[in-house]
Amino acid sequence: MSKAARYLKTAWLSRQFELARPLLPAGTALALWLGGKKLAESDAAGADLSDACPGALSFALTLDGEVVGALLLLPPAGGEAQCRRAGDFLAHGLQGMLDAEHARRAIAQEALEGYREMALLQRAALELNDSLKPAAVAEALLKEFDDRKMGADYGAVYQFEAEGKAQLMRCFGAGADDAFDRFADSEFFAGIAADAAKAGADIVNDLSSLPTVPEFGSLLWRPLDAHGKNLGLLVLALQRRGGFTAGDMKRAQTLGSMAAASLHNAQLYAAEQKLFQSFVDVIAAAIDAKSRYTSGHCQRVPKIAMLLAEAAHRDEGRFAQFRLDEEERKAIEIAAKLHDCGKVVTPEWIVDKATKLDGIFNRIGLVALRFELLRRDALMERDRRLAGGGDSASAVRDYRARLRKLDEDFAFLEKCNQGAESVSAAHVDRIREIAARNWCDSNGRAFPLLSEDEVYNLMVQRGTLNPEERKIIEDHAAHTIAALKQIAFPRALRNVTEYAGGHHEHMDGTGYPWGLTRERLSIPTRIIAIADIFEALTAPDRPYRKPNTLNSAIGIMHRMKLNQHIDGELFDLLLSSGVYADYAREHLADSQIDDVDIGRYLGQ
Amino acid sequence: MKTIAIVDDEVHIRALLEQTLEDLDDAPEILTAVNGAEGLALIERERPSLVFLDVMMPLMNGYEVCAAVRKNPDLAGTTIVMLTAKGQESDRARGHEAGAHHFVTKPFDPDEILELARKVLAAS
Repeated sequence: MSKAARYLKTAWLSRQFELARPLLPAGTALALWLGGKKLAESDAAGADLSDACPGALSFALTLDGEVVGALLLLPPAGGEAQCRRAGDFLAHGLQGMLDAEHARRAIAQEALEGYREMALLQRAALELNDSLKPAAVAEALLKEFDDRKMGADYGAVYQFEAEGKAQLMRCFGAGADDAFDRFADSEFFAGIAADAAKAGADIVNDLSSLPTVPEFGSLLWRPLDAHGKNLGLLVLALQRRGGFTAGDMKRAQTLGSMAAASLHNAQLYAAEQKLFQSFVDVIAAAIDAKSRYTSGHCQRVPKIAMLLAEAAHRDEGRFAQFRLDEEERKAIEIAAKLHDCGKVVTPEWIVDKATKLDGIFNRIGLVALRFELLRRDALMERDRRLAGGGDSASAVRDYRARLRKLDEDFAFLEKCNQGAESVSAAHVDRIREIAARNWCDSNGRAFPLLSEDEVYNLMVQRGTLNPEERKIIEDHAAHTIAALKQIAFPRALRNVTEYAGGHHEHMDGTGYPWGLTRERLSIPTRIIAIADIFEALTAPDRPYRKPNTLNSAIGIMHRMKLNQHIDGELFDLLLSSGVYADYAREHLADSQIDDVDIGRYLGQ
Repeated sequence: MKTIAIVDDEVHIRALLEQTLEDLDDAPEILTAVNGAEGLALIERERPSLVFLDVMMPLMNGYEVCAAVRKNPDLAGTTIVMLTAKGQESDRARGHEAGAHHFVTKPFDPDEILELARKVLAAS
């Protein structure tokens, strides 16, 4: 049935016929046929009326020049002329009505198409802009053409890379990956891609004579260009030939232009991310490069931190409330990479201070020289006594005793100079006693054997750093915070400064620089603190000690847990999740990896 | 035969909705009314399966028509879709209160209208 049957309302037609009756000879039968359907009739005689009836007058009704129906009149005997005049009049009115309705419907159809497009754009705008990932944009675009929406058999979005190479981003259809890979290698594709931006969108509805792939019968493509740059290509295909319509093309045009803008945004965003990430990596590598002893630290801490963060993310127990999203993962990783960035202002001779008397160089050599002077003094004294004819035996004995004492004292100082040596009160007395001795220059001027500064440094109780130097080292955390505060982090990364700056905080509040207690330290901050310590303890080479085995590193960390320095729950998770072993396998020397009885350390 | 009523004072909305609904299979009867009072009378008389009801109308607004329809137990089988203007989505709360089942924003998506009508008619 043609749509024309809907153009004239039956109620209106009935009234129209009623009004026409007085103009017609009495007994005239009337009927209106439209689109193969009888819409109105005058009476019982009209009901039987068709153009096959002998004597019936037919007045054709047309739409766009095509006959779609007719007004039929069956005049009574002798009424034919009057019927013809009245019929012309009536048919003219009906034809005008039909034409007007036809035009009105065409306009309405256009408006509805506009509504459709607007709705499509609104929906697509939401979906295409939902993600800043190029692949997600491609995915959302293709979804508008798949079975549900348009019924394309195949669809693909290619992305053009800097060198003009096309990379298949996303596709759908049976065996689509393979088909579109082959399509990308075809000459036909090369032709489209070469001047996609200029040639614009097109449809080829019969691919049988063109060198593409056998799966495709019809093809529709639309370049994805934004800001004068050709970013990619949307390709849709049907298995059958002759399948695509102008409407499909319009849809592809509309959605393609929007997808191209989204793709452009996504690519800009990705480039920006890459730029920022590479800056972060450069800074981390620069900090590592400052000291040969900590090389790789800023690269390894993020690895441990992310392993531990993921373990907490998966945990259904104590960390059930801790869940990561993509942004938070990024924030933790960046914080872990930059946690030591304050070290750029820490003098490397302090970072690398291997012994207590290390300054710009290790001053133990100077002390050794002074001892050597005293040995010479002793030798000269012995020779003087021998030459003077005194008791030679006692001269030699005294000389040997002095030499032994000097050797013992120097050996003692050498030992004290090591960071591993803890210095007791008795040690301090002996250092002072040694320091109080004098050596004389050739002019007879006396100098103490050890300077005040040397005594001060040798008296360092633990490690190699004196309190002032320790302060400078500790300041690196404050410098990290000061530096990161200057960076205009986006909202998603706003916690990076806190995560990075708190890695020397202790759970009992005795850490630095803030002195915060556990409940005021976020989980990522505590994770980075543990990662920092675990890396430092297992690092192959540190100036002040030999590499630890895995077991001894974990033993030390267990004491830190008991002392409330590190977070006990995260320490337990490090062990129970197996993260410690995963990391060790990847990054520690075989000689460092020994069996760890984690049961000894868990929960207590 | 199933019946659909369109109640809207704007002639172009009536015409566009009517033309959209003509694409339905089984050609349901489509009736129109140009204000709220006429719309309510039409609904009570014809008991349509589905009503597209504008909110802002003379004589009786869409909420009042909707509430009156919902109060009438004879019309329990009538599904009401309210047509709200773009930017006035907050009207939906009032429409819900009045007992409307669905909401469509003008300018409407013809495909959404068809999908909704098919679903409602199939269920009625």
